This record gives sequence, C-alpha cells and structure tokens, in this order.
Amino acid sequence: MNEDLELRAALKAALEPKGDQAAFVARVMAQYDNALERSTIPALDVLASWFRPGIAAAALIAGLFFGRAALAPASPAAAESIDAAMAPAEGTGLAALVTAQDPPDPSVVFTSLVEPQ
Amino acid sequence: MSAEAPPSPQPPASPARMGNSPDDKDLVAQALAGDRAAFGVVVERYAAQARRVARAVLGDPDDADDAAQDGFLSALVKLAQYDARRPFGPWLMRIVANAATDRRRRRNVRRAEPLDPSLVGGGPRPDALAVRSELGDRLRAALAELSERRRTAVVLFDVEGYSHGEIAGILGIPEGTVRSEVFHGRRRLRTLLADWKEQVT
Repeated sequence: MNEDLELRAALKAALEPKGDQAAFVARVMAQYDNALERSTIPALDVLASWFRPGIAAAALIAGLFFGRAALAPASPAAAESIDAAMAPAEGTGLAALVTAQDPPDPSVVFTSLVEPQ
Repeated sequence: MSAEAPPSPQPPASPARMGNSPDDKDLVAQALAGDRAAFGVVVERYAAQARRVARAVLGDPDDADDAAQDGFLSALVKLAQYDARRPFGPWLMRIVANAATDRRRRRNVRRAEPLDPSLVGGGPRPDALAVRSELGDRLRAALAELSERRRTAVVLFDVEGYSHGEIAGILGIPEGTVRSEVFHGRRRLRTLLADWKEQVT
C-alpha cells in the first residue's frame, strides 16, 4: 500500500507540467474565440462549396433537357395524335371539351383521345 | 496475457474523483451558454490533469501542452455533446487523450520511442533535487517503454485517480483490459522504483 502511494507521488512528480499553470490557462483562453469561429466557419464553407457546384449541376442538367427538347425532331405519330385529338369531331373532341360549360362525362374524354377520326 | 490475476487496487482520492460535483455541471452549462469566464474556470480546474495525461501519451512536455490545449478547445466546441448526467472529468480526458494520440500520429512518432535525453536533462542541481530528478527521469523513461495505452491507463488510474470503469470509457477499451494494463504497467514501474530505492539507500 505504501509502495502504491510512493509510486503515485513519484509518477505525479515525473509528469508534472514544466511551465506555469496560469500561462497555460491564458494560452488556451487566447484561442477561445478562434476555436468557436473555426467550428462555425468550416460548416458555412462546406455549405458554400456545395452550393456553387449544386447550382452549376442544376444549370447543366436543365440545359441538357432544353437542348434535347429543342434539337429532337417532332414525332409524326405524336403530331398526328394531337391533331386528331384537336380536330373538331362531331359532338366530342378536345375543342368540345374545353368549351363545354359543364364537366364532361369521363367516357367523352377517353373517346375523344382514343377514337379514330 | 499473464496467468496472474490482476488485483483490484483502489484509485487514489484526487480531484478526478470529485469530477461529478455540481460545480462542474454548472460551469459547463454556463460555458455552453457562452460564458467565457466559466470555461476559463473549467480550464483552470483541469489544466494540470490534462497536461499530465497528454504528457503520458506524448512524453514531450511541450507537445503535451499543445495537445492539452487542442483537447480543451475541442471540448469547448463539443460542449453541447456532453451528457450532464455523467461525470465531466472522464469526458474531458477522453478528448484530451484523443488529441494527444492524434498529435502523436501526425508526428509519426514510434510507439515506444525513448524520451529525448535533452528533454529530461538539466543543469547542476543540489543533491536532493538531483536525486529526485533522476527518479523522474527514470520513471519517464520507464513510462516511455510501455505501450501508449498502458502508460495512459496507469497515469489515469494512479495519478489522476480514475476508476477502471472510467478509464475504460476514456480509452474506449473493455474494463478487463484496463485492469490488465494497469496491473502490468504498475508492476513494471514498481520494480523500477524498488531498484532505485535500493540504489539510493
């Protein structure tokens, strides 16, 4: 037990800091503001660094979609079907649907799109 | 693993044992609310302990002070993560020990590197001081021969007075491993101390 106490005392003395305690405390406290700043600024930096490439990527993707849509030839089949749908049919068709006062019957909607002219 | 069963020595009474005092919790709460002075009191209270623990890991006292400072500032930034239901000392010492280990890794220092003799030497001293200093040199050299984990466990237990369970939390290892590390570390240091006493007498 005595040996333990001796060892403890000797170890404590051997590891005792060299410099002044107050100087160490002052040194830590001198970095107080910097530490808090560093802990917040990097987070903003990270967000900012994500923001710029994010905007660039979104612009690129949007550009690709617009370019693709502009350069792609219109499909004849699609044009036909739209024309067919828009063509005034007898009693049915989109023109009739959009000018009607009352909500149409669902069957009218379907037949206006599917019905061959 | 040795066949000997590690005994269960009691850690000494030290400020670390009082680390769960309401004072610590109050100070941490105030520091968390932005009270700079409260954090200053925390630093003052734990400075010596943090510097010794960092020195146990690093050996070099200047490096140890840098690591202890890193630890305190890291704790300041992480203060919101501290669970006030637990003692503050072990939480802080874990951060300090990690800061010291990181610093050691960054500098790529070998694990059992002997201490630089220039760090432990000194000018001429009166006899009593010289004898005391020689023991200190020997103990530091003996500590440096132990693995980082073992010497940190011994210092946390013997010098700072943490329990095996608390040290397990600080070092992130099982309590049984802590007991074994403390036992083997102390055995080595006790032998050294006994040899030194024989020489002196």
